[in-house]
Amino acid sequence: MSTPTAARPKYVGGAVKRREDPRLLLGRGRYVADIALAGTVHMAVVRSPHAHARITGIDASRALATPGVLTVLTWPDISAEVGPIPCIDAYPDSLPALQTALADGVVRYVGQPVAVLVATTEYGAEDALALVDVTYELLTPVVTMDDALAGETLLHPELGTNVVTTIAQDVGDVDAAFAAADRVYEETFEIHRYAPMPMETRGVVAEVDPISERLTLTTSTQFPHLVRGFLSGCLGIPESRIRVVAPDVGGGFGAKCEFYCEELLAPLLALRLRRPVRWIEDRREHLVASTHAREQRHTVRVAVLEDGTVTAVDARSWTSSGAAYSTLTTTPASISSAMLRGPYRIPHYRARAHCVLTNKTPLAVYRGAGHPQAVLVMERMMDVIAADLGRDRVALRLQNSLTPAELPSDRGTAIVLAGPVVYDTGDYGFCLTRAAEMIGLDEDWPAQQAAARAEGRYLGIGLANLVEETSIGPYESSVVRVDGSGAVTVLTGSSPHGQGHVTTFSQLVADELEIDIERITVLYGDTDVVTDGVGTFASRSAAIGGAAARKAAGVVKDKAMAVAAHVLEIDVADLEWRDGAAHVRGLPARSLSLGELAQASTAWNAPLPGGMSFNLEGTYQHQAAGIAFSNATHAAKLAVDVQTGEVEILDYVVVHDCGTVINPTIVEGQVHGGVAQGIGGTFMEDLPYDADGRPLARTLQDYTTPTASDMPWIRTDHMESPTPLNPYGMKGAGEGGATGAPGALVNALQDALSVFGVHLTVDGPWTPDRVLDLVPEDLPWA
Amino acid sequence: MTQTTPRQPAPALHVVQVTVNGEPRDAAVPARTLLSDFLRDTLGLTGTHVGCGHGTCGACTVLLDGVAVRSCLLFAVQTDGCSITTIEGISPDGTLTPVQQAFQDNHGMQCGFCTPGFVCSLTALLAEDPAPTDQRLTETLDGHLCRCTGYQNIVKAARQAAGREALS
Repeated sequence: MSTPTAARPKYVGGAVKRREDPRLLLGRGRYVADIALAGTVHMAVVRSPHAHARITGIDASRALATPGVLTVLTWPDISAEVGPIPCIDAYPDSLPALQTALADGVVRYVGQPVAVLVATTEYGAEDALALVDVTYELLTPVVTMDDALAGETLLHPELGTNVVTTIAQDVGDVDAAFAAADRVYEETFEIHRYAPMPMETRGVVAEVDPISERLTLTTSTQFPHLVRGFLSGCLGIPESRIRVVAPDVGGGFGAKCEFYCEELLAPLLALRLRRPVRWIEDRREHLVASTHAREQRHTVRVAVLEDGTVTAVDARSWTSSGAAYSTLTTTPASISSAMLRGPYRIPHYRARAHCVLTNKTPLAVYRGAGHPQAVLVMERMMDVIAADLGRDRVALRLQNSLTPAELPSDRGTAIVLAGPVVYDTGDYGFCLTRAAEMIGLDEDWPAQQAAARAEGRYLGIGLANLVEETSIGPYESSVVRVDGSGAVTVLTGSSPHGQGHVTTFSQLVADELEIDIERITVLYGDTDVVTDGVGTFASRSAAIGGAAARKAAGVVKDKAMAVAAHVLEIDVADLEWRDGAAHVRGLPARSLSLGELAQASTAWNAPLPGGMSFNLEGTYQHQAAGIAFSNATHAAKLAVDVQTGEVEILDYVVVHDCGTVINPTIVEGQVHGGVAQGIGGTFMEDLPYDADGRPLARTLQDYTTPTASDMPWIRTDHMESPTPLNPYGMKGAGEGGATGAPGALVNALQDALSVFGVHLTVDGPWTPDRVLDLVPEDLPWA
Repeated sequence: MTQTTPRQPAPALHVVQVTVNGEPRDAAVPARTLLSDFLRDTLGLTGTHVGCGHGTCGACTVLLDGVAVRSCLLFAVQTDGCSITTIEGISPDGTLTPVQQAFQDNHGMQCGFCTPGFVCSLTALLAEDPAPTDQRLTETLDGHLCRCTGYQNIVKAARQAAGREALS
């Protein structure tokens, strides 16, 4: 019998303040642009000014004649040495459209690297860009989806088509369901192009260590371990000779979940020049050289019975994938097609999702990847159906939502790299009901709208339900070690870019070992320090990386108990772990602390029994048992000024469920940030191209993102449905905010302007001029 | 990728004498050296971050004679004789100031890249007006872009630092 003691307060579930903040607040962060190595030279990239053109000549003589310019490289100078930029989510029958690090004779988007130069100063390198003379023969640009599908101009003529991947999802008997349907609805939705736009642009510093002759690439990335593998493959250098470091990373949201040309070019130049090579992307470059996101067209047919049961969806989508594969090219289309039905039963489902080449910047993942588009499409359809059937939109959604009793539910679809879609846990109806109640969507709402309209105010409420893939594997690694002072070091393969890993991973390990959080140091982001890892994306770090860290701490604890049994010469069953120490049962004063046990297992002790390894250290690789699905309902209430077209978001509610919460403050912060990005995409952010394929947003004055006064006060409510797929019940929380917002906001705008007969099938950006176009001109006050 | 005329092999250098975070500093730099680059590259004060380079995002904000300015929009030579405070000098002793503490207390930051700019601007505002109106607080925050937080917790931090009641 153990002696009852006061329960030690748990860190997990608590609003622990972030441990990483003081350093960053004092200006002591270390981002890639902050690294100054002696002898550094500066790389600059000559980029294509044309959307589609054949390179007829490159003359670098003026640049090379300029003092300070060390070298200029074009594709023929490097083609024998470097492989193409890898794509890791191609389907077996995807047609090859890989990008080369420098244009191989044809440029296919504005911003594509054509040549690269190095100079002794950063300003000098930028000056020299204008001295590299490139001549082009213009080709017809493929700008719109219609251009691409028409196929008159092909980006890669050898492929015979611009449609390079088609993903199929087939569930049930769709044709029979449509034959039996009472009503069939068909709509086409357009989702526009916008981008993650982290506040820190990308950047790299590459150097060759003169002693080991190993290459070190410091890069602003979400997955340094994967970059190590990509770089090894592209350069033909063994991974053992490459170290990749992700220092402080100033946001990513998917834009840094890529392997980019510059991450290959700088190491190549460092190897050739034997000097550190630095390149920091400027914002004008970022807008064309870092991946874009979102742009899709969806055509959906929906089969519905008179009682409101949605029986089937037949969906086609086209993703404007840009000029070449990115590292993660098909993932948005794959997720959209696998997840379109959201929380709704819909037993019969067919999707064909096409990735289409266009002369634009490559498109890849951005917070939610393909989820936000799918949610917008499905949630708009639920409102369309409810309006047509004269049904309450909450009731119609509830009627079609899977109930907790129906879970787990194999949805019959699959997501590339992640696997089959089997919803695990959640109470979708609860989140919906609670969100509708919090936002004030009840039987009184139409009367409120009418009263406001009488005063010239157009109010709308919009809902969006979401179920999203989180916590994908395949695995994450962790090492936990203890020194003789009892200090604990946690290594994690998941490298953060603002998510607060130091705090949440400390919480998990502190609880496992029952120690104070201050004793814990969390290390990450350096492939020499943490030799194995995957990264931070797909709402996976806390759940998968966190589980690995806590499991590794458990390994340490078990070993500490074994060491204690050996030192105390008693059976391990007579010991119990409490407050960071092994205690003899019944003799609570007789104990050995973590630090003492670490001392007892160092090299200056006799060998431990049974061939147990020296030192208190535990390693664990946590493999995901399957995808964990988080869910939420977003509810937005807004007011449209029909004289100016301005939209004011009056209230915003998110009721969400990400399983067991480690730190509610951090989870809320993730929700807020995601919603802000959804608001930006719906009302402000846009990457338009002109008819010649030239991007029109080239600064943050053109690409406008929300500021503080654009934001509503977001109200959140949580529920926790732990997943059995994770040893601690944790799911992901990083992306849901961005996933739900566009659908809820567009539905709210529709609700506000329905009286004008508008029928919204475009996701945005609903800038004031576009909103004003929805308002009849003969409105007395318009 | 700024288009410029070919530079002279050895550009003329100009001595800039400034007081940075209370210490006299001087260096000879080309006339076109931006203040942000001067602080970061010449003086090694990398806490000032450059997010856009065209005066929109506010990450590079520093205090010039007590006034919040975008260091990417000034040449270093323009600040000759001035006193500059960067994020490294906001706290005199390495402990968090009330503005900095408010950011930690309210989770007003995630990746931390934009944070120095917010801290500098709020510090300047509160030095000039210890009890700012909501309007002034909002105007100050609107001069900065953050991509992580959705601003709600930054607003909370700003209100705490300004001694305003918390919003719920």
